[in-house]
Amino acid sequence: MSAKEYSEQASGRFLELRNIHKRFGGVHALRGISLTLDLGEAYHLLGENGCGKSTVIKIMSGALEPSDGEIVLDGQTFSSLSPIQSLAAGIETVYQDLSLLPNLTVAENVALNEQLVSANGRLVRLFDRSRLRQTAERALAMVSLPTDRAFLGTTVSDLPLATRQLVAIARAIATRAKLVIMDEPTTSLTRREVDNLIKVVERLRSENVAVLFVTHKLDECYRIGGHAVVFRDGQCVAQGLIEQYTKKELTELMTGRSIGSERYRTGKPAEAELFAASGLVAPGVHDISFKVRKGEILGITGLADSGRNELAMAITGIEPASGGTISLDGRKVAIRRPADAIGHGIGYVPEDRLAEGLFLDKSIFENEIALILTRLSNAFGIIDKNKGRAIAARLSEEMRLNTKNLDLPVGALSGGNQQRVLIGRWLSIAPKLLVLHGPTVGVDVGSKDMIYRAIQSLAEAGMGLVIVSDDLPELLQNADRILVMNSGRVVAEFEAERATEEQVYKAMLTSELEAVQ
Amino acid sequence: MSTSRIDGLSENTSRSFSFGDLVRRRPETITFMLLVAICVIVAIVNPAFLQPSTLIDIGRASVVMGLFALGVFIILAAGGIDVSFTAIAAFTMYSLTVLVLNNFPGMPMAVIMLIAVAGGALLGVINGLLVHHLKVPSLIVTIGTQYLFRGFLLSFIGTVWIMSLPPQMGAFGRMPLFQFESANGALVTLPVYFLILPLAALVTWWILNRTLMGRAIFAVGGDANIASRLGYNLRTVHVFLFGYAGALAGLAGIIHVCANRQANPFDLVGTEINVIAAVVLGGARITGGTGTVLGTILGVLLIVVINSVLVMVGIPSTWQRLVVGSFILLAAAFFVTRQRKK
Repeated sequence: MSAKEYSEQASGRFLELRNIHKRFGGVHALRGISLTLDLGEAYHLLGENGCGKSTVIKIMSGALEPSDGEIVLDGQTFSSLSPIQSLAAGIETVYQDLSLLPNLTVAENVALNEQLVSANGRLVRLFDRSRLRQTAERALAMVSLPTDRAFLGTTVSDLPLATRQLVAIARAIATRAKLVIMDEPTTSLTRREVDNLIKVVERLRSENVAVLFVTHKLDECYRIGGHAVVFRDGQCVAQGLIEQYTKKELTELMTGRSIGSERYRTGKPAEAELFAASGLVAPGVHDISFKVRKGEILGITGLADSGRNELAMAITGIEPASGGTISLDGRKVAIRRPADAIGHGIGYVPEDRLAEGLFLDKSIFENEIALILTRLSNAFGIIDKNKGRAIAARLSEEMRLNTKNLDLPVGALSGGNQQRVLIGRWLSIAPKLLVLHGPTVGVDVGSKDMIYRAIQSLAEAGMGLVIVSDDLPELLQNADRILVMNSGRVVAEFEAERATEEQVYKAMLTSELEAVQ
Repeated sequence: MSTSRIDGLSENTSRSFSFGDLVRRRPETITFMLLVAICVIVAIVNPAFLQPSTLIDIGRASVVMGLFALGVFIILAAGGIDVSFTAIAAFTMYSLTVLVLNNFPGMPMAVIMLIAVAGGALLGVINGLLVHHLKVPSLIVTIGTQYLFRGFLLSFIGTVWIMSLPPQMGAFGRMPLFQFESANGALVTLPVYFLILPLAALVTWWILNRTLMGRAIFAVGGDANIASRLGYNLRTVHVFLFGYAGALAGLAGIIHVCANRQANPFDLVGTEINVIAAVVLGGARITGGTGTVLGTILGVLLIVVINSVLVMVGIPSTWQRLVVGSFILLAAAFFVTRQRKK
């Protein structure tokens, strides 16, 4: 769909991106983004995870250099911006991680940057404490936070998350910003706090400041109003006033993918129940119950803050549940640490395979047998290498690794093959239930296909699988059922065979209030 | 609901300070209390402790370690660690002594100190550039440069123990700030060089608390990636940090020579852990971003007092390490449980 026309005043133009490309190694994250931002306007940057939204705001704020294209800022053309150039021009970003310095005080976090920017990044300058306090007081008052000395002097690491969010916003408006970028600013706010934020945004716009939201919450976009900018696969697929689009149209624009939509699911789950969680409570998870049958593939999805990750960690003992029961094969089991889960036959393939799972400089063989070392070793602790190699060879075969050389370091493999090594390692303990977290994150299309086929054959062999993922086509293609989480609760359940991506996506976006009802 | 939460927040922060709060905000309180406790106990067991001569000894002994500790603290505040400062000190003090002895015997003391500071800063800047550009943890870089600086010193400058210093250096080491005769008739001197420590502490405090550089150092110690995203220039911060610590080390080196009236190229290296221990006892977290100059100085005093007074209460000096070790563990455990209770 081509960009819809909307009126624009050239005089109010602040920032223009022209045909911006960004490549990370072999990944082409942005493919020719062109975008104009005018002063005093609100913009909503919409799109699925991984569509290039974060990359684009990092380019605007100077954290990343574009591979190609140009940036026109206040009439001046740049090929890339440095953080201090971007800040000096009045671009302020409230990152999703808030980018607060945990060891500094509220006042310093809010107002120190104003002094840094007015010193143009030079550090050999006196630090003006009274100006720091004045700036901080003014900015904190704008977001309705306390301005007393005690609060100004509180260390940020002592604050609750929602307050930190407001502190981060206060920092963005402490300087004379012309463009405030907010990356999912409302994820940790209650409805009242969101109302408060919307007032802040209105005040900013009335002072001729442009505001760019990156968000998943369409309801809030309509409430704030302004322009919608929709990204998909690193391209801008629509731009225009948000009132011109229905929620359904926006969702379609965001998800409209057509490649590889055939269903992988081959087998059928058995009748016998394998796993049951009832009334699970954990940080970010409120009272969740679900069951997995033998040979069943259960998909769990939701936005990043929906509690899906926490649920996966609760059932695998990484962040154990504080309440509720888990039973396996009809018997109650206590899972307080990862070793408990492994002992009961629950495997977990983490999302970040590099940080949490693989020994990159070790061979495929050593990685595959990492969980069964005790079983392979004799009374003197000597490991039976031949037996280990036989097992590793069988696992590699099962996972369809594209190399027969088991001595190759895992770091030399492609992302898809690394993921298969990691899944293979879990197969070595023959788990009853395997929890896969984002099994194809950062994996190319061909490897995805092989991983899906491997998942299906595991299910056919009677293993229960839980796939936690925000890749909706992946779940629709592989799962029997899909649970959708929001605000720590299950808000919807779909039969994967009959559900559509739009339905599931819409359920993911269901606002907190609707979820309670 | 949100307003009540925020009200509760300000109520929470403005609540009257409990002792636990104080310790959490100013961990050096514990250091101070330990120091006072030790002094009281020692003074009770052996009143000789309170004689001016003992106190002056402690003051003298804390100068070199204190200068080192300030350097370590400022690097720790930025989330790094330095173990090469003793090698920098040894390198500057010995090379400079050799240089003055052989080539410029008439060089005034002020110039000697200036060169020591500049030389130390230069070696420190090398550390800073390596840390920044290699993107290797500063611990590894400074282990490397410690060997490098020391190896260069011993291979190319010399290994001879210099017993007779250039006269101006010896004189500086003896120059009294004030002098008096103690009860037993011995002459007690507080040397002028003692003043350098409070001066350096003041300058360090001023840089950390009154300049943007100082705030940048803590910002980098909080989270280097975020700091860089906010526009802090990491290269400038790294170069300044290590340069400043190097300058302090150079200064410490030359004072060490003057105070001991000899220049031994094998001196100093090996005392790094002692200094890092003092800084950590002063409440700075090894992970960076916290700590105060006052705490650092208290930590140094604590270690110096332990090292010099145990003998006075009849505890063998071999026990020093035992005591220092248990204090570090105690203090660390205390800080950590305070953090958790929060």
